Amino acid sequence: MSGPTLDAVDLQVLVGGLRAACDEMGAVLVRSAHSPNITERRDCSTAVFAAGGEMVAQAEHIPVHLGAMPASVAAVRDEDHRPGVSWILNDPYAGGSHLPDITVVTPVFAGDDLIGFAAARAHHADVGGRTPGSMPADSTTLEEEGVVIGPQRLSAGLIDELVAQMRHPAQRRADLRAQLAACEAGAARMSDLARGRGADGLGAALEQVLAYGERRMVAAIGSLPPGEHRFEDLLEGREGAIPLRVLVTVGGDEVVVDLRDAPEQGRHNLNCPRAVTESACLFAVRAAVADHDLPTDDGTRRRIRVLTRPGSLLDARPTPDGTRPAVVAGNVETSSRVADLVLGALGRALGQGTMNNVTLGDEHRTMYETIAGGQGATPGADGPTAVHVAMSNTRNTPVEALEVGFPVRVERYEVRRGSGGAGRWRGGDGVIRELRALAPLEYQVLGERRTVGARGADGGEDGRPGRHALDGRTLPPKAGGWMAVGQRLLVETPGGGGCGPVANPSASTSSS
Amino acid sequence: MLLGVDVGGTFTDAALVDGRRVHTAKTPTTPDDQSRGVLAAVEAVLREAGVGPEAVTGLRHGMTVATNALLEGVVARTVLCATEGFVDLVEIGRQDRPHLYDLARPRVAPLVPPERRVAVPERCGPDGPERPLTPEAARRTAAAVAALDPEAVAVILLHADRHPAHERLLGDALRDALGDGVHVSLSHEAVGTFREYERAATTEVDAAVSPLVGRYLRRLGAGCEAAGLPRPEILQSSGGVCDLEEAARHGATTVLSGPAGGAAAAAIVSRTTGEPDLLCFDMGGTSCDVLVVSGGRVRETGGGTIAGRPIALPTVDIHTVGAGGGSIAWADPGGALRVGPRSAGAVPGPAAYGGGGTEPTVTDAHVVLGTLDPDQPLAGGVRLDLDAACAAVERLGGALGLQRDACARGILRVADAEMARALRVMTVERGVDPRGFALLAYGGAGGLHAAGLAGRLGLRRVLVPRAGGVLSALGLAAAERRTDAARTVLLRGDAITPAALGAGAPGGTERAYDLRYVGQAFELTVREQPPDPALLRRAFDAAHRERYGFDDPDAELELVTIRETTREAGPPVALGGDGEAAATSARWTGPVVVRLPGSTVVVPAGWTARTDEHGTLHLEATAEVPGPAPWEADA
Repeated sequence: MSGPTLDAVDLQVLVGGLRAACDEMGAVLVRSAHSPNITERRDCSTAVFAAGGEMVAQAEHIPVHLGAMPASVAAVRDEDHRPGVSWILNDPYAGGSHLPDITVVTPVFAGDDLIGFAAARAHHADVGGRTPGSMPADSTTLEEEGVVIGPQRLSAGLIDELVAQMRHPAQRRADLRAQLAACEAGAARMSDLARGRGADGLGAALEQVLAYGERRMVAAIGSLPPGEHRFEDLLEGREGAIPLRVLVTVGGDEVVVDLRDAPEQGRHNLNCPRAVTESACLFAVRAAVADHDLPTDDGTRRRIRVLTRPGSLLDARPTPDGTRPAVVAGNVETSSRVADLVLGALGRALGQGTMNNVTLGDEHRTMYETIAGGQGATPGADGPTAVHVAMSNTRNTPVEALEVGFPVRVERYEVRRGSGGAGRWRGGDGVIRELRALAPLEYQVLGERRTVGARGADGGEDGRPGRHALDGRTLPPKAGGWMAVGQRLLVETPGGGGCGPVANPSASTSSS
Repeated sequence: MLLGVDVGGTFTDAALVDGRRVHTAKTPTTPDDQSRGVLAAVEAVLREAGVGPEAVTGLRHGMTVATNALLEGVVARTVLCATEGFVDLVEIGRQDRPHLYDLARPRVAPLVPPERRVAVPERCGPDGPERPLTPEAARRTAAAVAALDPEAVAVILLHADRHPAHERLLGDALRDALGDGVHVSLSHEAVGTFREYERAATTEVDAAVSPLVGRYLRRLGAGCEAAGLPRPEILQSSGGVCDLEEAARHGATTVLSGPAGGAAAAAIVSRTTGEPDLLCFDMGGTSCDVLVVSGGRVRETGGGTIAGRPIALPTVDIHTVGAGGGSIAWADPGGALRVGPRSAGAVPGPAAYGGGGTEPTVTDAHVVLGTLDPDQPLAGGVRLDLDAACAAVERLGGALGLQRDACARGILRVADAEMARALRVMTVERGVDPRGFALLAYGGAGGLHAAGLAGRLGLRRVLVPRAGGVLSALGLAAAERRTDAARTVLLRGDAITPAALGAGAPGGTERAYDLRYVGQAFELTVREQPPDPALLRRAFDAAHRERYGFDDPDAELELVTIRETTREAGPPVALGGDGEAAATSARWTGPVVVRLPGSTVVVPAGWTARTDEHGTLHLEATAEVPGPAPWEADA
């Protein structure tokens, strides 16, 4: 049975109501979690889904979750659901992205009928594994990166069992409880929306919401350059550069991103599950179109087809012998490069293209931070300075908050002047951040664009590559080890690419 | 007699309270020098009341000098002094980008450009100085600042909220080097709380606007003295007033004072009507502001933002959405009907204003449906053009496949949905059940939407005060005097002693405590508690439960910030009963549209309405499930 067609008004009221449900979930999650990752850095996302598992709205905090939230719900959709019984998972090969991102999914009922799902994902500060913070620079298998949670029913007993395997179990427990509270809030709002419509009526209305998203995306694609566009870039692997290529085809009502040419998955942690690759492509297309106000749902996703090859770096799978490739840098770094491939193919100057992930800790405490850099310039505007450019948009932890709870001093946190590429419009500048250890600390750094800078466009110059160093000694792009008391870890983040040729050559150095 | 003068974008309103009577006057705002409009409004209201300036015992003023300076980017030439290695901390901000997908959108530019940022050779850690600032280094720094020829200086040193000695030393050196003519803002004085970016951005604003605010207030003070009026007191973002000199010294405290007059008025409505809990919504031309009065007191927060800049100072807690009478309705590329955030503004205004506007607005929808009567001119003498409103709505309806009236109803339904969300953000999302609240509606369009919105949220009482346009000025006249100070302490567990909480300190000061469980990064403010650690703990657990649905009695508690407030209650005033209200008191039973001078109020089925002796219209739900607004009912 399908309900009556929604008119332009009912449609907008429902779209707004779904969005409000996600926002309310986000408010509950951000305000009640314990770890700064969630509360200060907002490394979390919330979304609601139709009964068939299609995402009908998402509160946008973090782009890397765009395509990954639907994968989480898809992983549990066909299970036998009961009211009040939620699910938990983080397995990148079964609905997750990387292990620190734990997702809670709650089925929503109206009476006996399943009417949808609410899901909340958050980046936990630690999920066990070999190194504090669960972001090892040199992992090769998933097990080294922490506790792998396949989709399973969430219970108090399970929470006890899981957090016991992680560092800081009390904080983990509080964060999980916050995620569950967020899902319950979302479920309550969805039940409100079903009232008066019934389960079938809501289902039919949600299908129209998805069709609306699809129409918006079709209209937006009209602003992209039609035809076939190719682009190449490099990933900085531990054993040398890994080339990546893309073919983006912009048709009249669809964008196809072909990444089937990617190299094989490998014994390193740059591997991407397909959901992460897809997130990066969705992000890049949404950033490239002129309409920046598109709904975030699976309707818009219907018009962006991402082609990958199973077993490749960008569609990693467990191997036949059961080995699960490591993925932690794939989620944060390879994803940035995939977004750059698509943006570059569509003619944009590129941003820093890395999150500059820094993890410090010992067995008692962990901190994880990502560091901003320069954004690429666009025709008509310089690239912004000191921002997160693509798949991340997390806030920093205040120096005054960090130093109270953690044995570290921030020695320097300033703009890296002149690091953006010159051009008619300049690329944004990166930043310089230096940390001094007050206790022996294990460090892990995952960076990219340390050898080749972010590409300029239309004759604009490339941004300067980044660098990280321990006591002045330059480290490889992916590095880990121990900092002794007094040692300094310096990170200089990359600048963004310029756009358009420099009109007057002296202008290129004027502001450095 | 008490006099309140509130400067708005178009009009400057004055309200003179004479016992139970209120005299009002409205004059055009004079943007080049607001004090001219203020004195004109004062003169007008005194003439209306037939009294001289000597009759005025207190003068309270809400101004927008600091706000406008920031919005227009015209501020004093400011130098920023920061701990070496951190001179760019305002530029870097929290390092997030303002829009997820619009990658070119810039963050708001710092008020101080890179060439006017000076590094200070010092460093404090959480436990005090680690690299001492020597008097010699302070002098050298001050000389470097002086060479930049500043009108104002902002000083922001790391951890100065708890260890202010370095800022004090540098402040003294700066005053020696620069003299009294240059304003100096020290972050521990201007703000006092931790989190360096928010403290720095606020201190920068304080430095950059204080010279302008000071010049304006001294001019106004002189004008008042010449006119035989008392020295004005100035409205702060907190909703309280302070001495003129205090406001001149700390310009940042007035930056968010625009809506604070309305908040002060809401507190008066609460007092005069005996409704302790009010959900207040002010629907104007371009936006709708929501605030909450709880237990007779306006809910406030430790900080707000203006044009992308954080202001970490006590502020009335306000949520704004872009849905007002002038909000434009449009068809998006997916075929949905959208309302706002673009507004027709004052020029050209809604199509019905006949000022050349052709796009349909919320006001036009009301004209089409007849809730606004084209034969009754609006405040300010605007006559409504029915044909222009119909044409505008019909055009949009054509694009969306809707009949004209269905389109008009749709515009109102979408606007209502937007406003209902704003009301939810301020209540349900913060753990507050609004069902025992009354809805207070003011602003030009408030009465049109109030009952429908109340019904959606389960509120059963609605108040529409008569004073309407001059409510803010009236609120000002009766605002409390108030001083605030905050300091971050970061004490955990047993270190939270009665002495640390302020036990034994001289009375007369209220303390509020920002608390969290160790590990959390957000604080909850607990108010009206004695300085007793055990009681505070229970109060915090309860507040956490109410707000977030759970508490953690085993977790260690952290006291982050102590906020001290001294208040002196404002004088009692009535709401503007002028003796005629009682004579015109009447009752209505919905569905009916009540047309009062200056406001139109929609009373749906299942509601009754009456006026009280102050002229306030009271709506009450009589049906268990009262009817929705007519545009919902007919949909």
